[in-house]
Amino acid sequence: MKTHNKLLVSLLLGAGIVSSPILSFAADSKELEDLRAQIEELKQAVKVLDRKGEIAVEDAAAAKKKDAVVKASEKGFAIESADGKNTVKFNGIIQADYRYYDEGANDVRGRSAGRAGPLDADGFRDAQDTGLLRRVRPTIQGTLGGKYDYRFTPDFGGGSAGVVDAYIDARFSPFFKLRAGKFKSFVGLERLQSGSDIRFVERAYTTNAILPNRDLGFAVHGDLFGDKLNYALGVVNGVADGGNIATGPEYNKEKEFTWRLFTTPFKDNVNAFSGLGFGVAGTYTDFRGDRNLDFGSLTSSGEGGTTYTLNNGGSVDATRNGLPAYVTEGQNVFFRYGSNVLADGQRTRVSPQAYFYNGPWGVIGEYAWLKQEVGITAVGANATTATTIVDGTNKELNHHTWNIGATYVLTGEDNSFKGIKPKNNFDLDKGTWGAWEAGLRYSALNLDDDTFKAPNGSGYQGEGATAAKAYADRSISAKAAKTWTGGINWYLDQNTKVQLNYLHTSFDGGAGSSASAHQDRKNENAIFGRLQISY
Amino acid sequence: MIFKKIIKSAVITALTLTTLSVNAADVSILNVSYDPTREFYQEYNESFAKYWKSKTGDNVKVQQSHGGAGKQARAVIDGLEGDVVTLALSYDIDQLYEKARLIPADWQKRLKNNSSPYTSTIVFLVRKGNPKKIKDWDDLVKPGVSIITPNPKTSGGARWNYLAAWAFALKQNNNDEAKAKEFVTKLYKNAPILDSGARGSTTTFLERGIGDVLITWENEAFLAKKELGVGEVEIVVPSLSILAEPPVTVVDKFAKKHGTEKLAQAYLEYLYSDEGQDLAGKHFYRPTLEPAVKKYASQFPKVNLVKIDEVFGGWQKAQKTHFNDGGVFDEIIVKK
Repeated sequence: MKTHNKLLVSLLLGAGIVSSPILSFAADSKELEDLRAQIEELKQAVKVLDRKGEIAVEDAAAAKKKDAVVKASEKGFAIESADGKNTVKFNGIIQADYRYYDEGANDVRGRSAGRAGPLDADGFRDAQDTGLLRRVRPTIQGTLGGKYDYRFTPDFGGGSAGVVDAYIDARFSPFFKLRAGKFKSFVGLERLQSGSDIRFVERAYTTNAILPNRDLGFAVHGDLFGDKLNYALGVVNGVADGGNIATGPEYNKEKEFTWRLFTTPFKDNVNAFSGLGFGVAGTYTDFRGDRNLDFGSLTSSGEGGTTYTLNNGGSVDATRNGLPAYVTEGQNVFFRYGSNVLADGQRTRVSPQAYFYNGPWGVIGEYAWLKQEVGITAVGANATTATTIVDGTNKELNHHTWNIGATYVLTGEDNSFKGIKPKNNFDLDKGTWGAWEAGLRYSALNLDDDTFKAPNGSGYQGEGATAAKAYADRSISAKAAKTWTGGINWYLDQNTKVQLNYLHTSFDGGAGSSASAHQDRKNENAIFGRLQISY
Repeated sequence: MIFKKIIKSAVITALTLTTLSVNAADVSILNVSYDPTREFYQEYNESFAKYWKSKTGDNVKVQQSHGGAGKQARAVIDGLEGDVVTLALSYDIDQLYEKARLIPADWQKRLKNNSSPYTSTIVFLVRKGNPKKIKDWDDLVKPGVSIITPNPKTSGGARWNYLAAWAFALKQNNNDEAKAKEFVTKLYKNAPILDSGARGSTTTFLERGIGDVLITWENEAFLAKKELGVGEVEIVVPSLSILAEPPVTVVDKFAKKHGTEKLAQAYLEYLYSDEGQDLAGKHFYRPTLEPAVKKYASQFPKVNLVKIDEVFGGWQKAQKTHFNDGGVFDEIIVKK
């Protein structure tokens, strides 16, 4: 019986019909262990996933620190390295202008027979109304190594293409920077204001007529006392008044020295004078005028053996005489030196300057005194006779110019040297009108009376090649021009501006039958309009 | 006579004035180091600062940067201006010359022991009780064993780990390279995560509780056992490992630029001083000079160490064969 029972139990156990508690316990334990092992595996897998996620985040953060940053905004487009030390920026300015001249506005160049159109009673041809692209300047600028700034700006406006700016600025420290290349001379205040920020369509006489535009050379400059005092000292090739130097080599070996000191003593204060800035700047050079003579075709000349003779291939090369022509604010020539005249000797410019901004008000003013030595040349009688500077014709001429302009932002935005940012952009849907600004400027250029007199003391004379002739003919070139300019500026947004100016210019001289019987040229009235996009 | 007296007085006065006018300077250098040396250099820098102060009167602050040795070397090449580098292997420092001429080609000759003030090796760190019964390298390739090791592409320690495993496999298989590759491939199949540096792997193993065994620097293993994972881990010394010689050098170009050449040189020379060697031993790096070698001899287990020059023909060859783009490691990872 017992054996039979045992056999039965074994059979039943084996068939799984009845389970042994011992076997069940063992099976449960193994299953439990297996489950535990699976759970551990799953836990590990989850931990691995978590940790991979952490590492991925750390790697992404580290990679982000190295990624270049691309920026696009109303300030332009830029690519910047992660550490900010290397950047390249793309900016630009396009100005589309229209110039309308009232009848009677003249162009002294119109006196030459070569220009089209009838002469008026004074012997001038009228200035022509015209549309033009005043500035089309894409700019590439940036920084290398956190310290070396570069800028390249060509200009395709005005019917020609050229390089406006091409320079490198090494910022060794805030108070010691070195600039080399072609750049705006550190002289005129209004010149240093960006072409996109000027408040009137054209700059005043001090800037456009007397002080240099851009020059080629190098300058040391810097900011002292927390940027409250700026200084600059330059050595440049030298350029005629208002001139914009070409990028090629010059033939006159003398250099021009430029200097400037400008202070904004209250800029960190919160008071009415925080927007006050004033300073003084100047230039000096001294060069031999005969280096400006035309070397059209020579036979032989020079030093050390071979003899050369300056030939009379032409009169003084007008592009190399070192002297300017002066234009009105309406951009018409009202003064030029005689074709025989050249710069010969020292040229000194001194210009005190100031601005003041307070709330919507802004005022900017400059004065410039130019001391220029000139001479008269006589072309040689034949191919082997030199063109020379006539004895007794060296003269020091003193010209003066000054301007003061005020603007008021009618919509209440703060005025500044660097432009206006509208509180609300122009948007018809929203009924917002951008920012509006009104301005008025007075600008005058007054030339030395001796410019129109013969050096031999014989009074007002015409142009010629002797000491009995003057440096300019007062019946052709005016002694003084005075301009009132009124303007309205509409800032549609930070990048878009519309300007409208009315210009009224009166003259002293510049017309008449002869130098001794000179009369005043007719007033020039003009309306200038501009649409500008800058970024 | 009077003239001589005047001259003598003037010289003494000038010297006195010069001495009086010299004030203690605050100087700073940057040490770009590999991942696991944080604790060591923290204490080392304090010791060096005291030494430098007593010697020159200047207050020196040593800034530290840590990361995978390969990454750190690349950072310096890309412009991280470290005055000194203290990295995991000489190949990474060679790149400072090869890629950027920041140091001379013969940099390694400038300090003792090929510019390696201390050495180390590779060991295993396992969980308390060694549940997976890890004894040697071949236990790491068994199914179900999860190993933690950093990425050889970024970490110097990871490259030592890899080469140690390869050397073991060569020895087991009569220098059969194919079998060694097969072995290392299996090893990396068991590695679920590759951190960028040795310290990252320590974090993964200890703090995140991932893996059964951490292949790591000997000093890192001791640190983990002593401080980071007290009572939770055990060290297993494999039958064979590799002699790791982490080198150091002044980064001449940057030190010259910063005017810190003398200071940087002194900073590294201090590693070879009694104090420097003692600190190395204290932080579980194997000192190379007496008396520290003797003092810490019993601290370090006896390990059969192979040298990279003997087994792999040097770092240049090893790097090119195994770790450069398209090298053996890239093949192994693709198969993973």
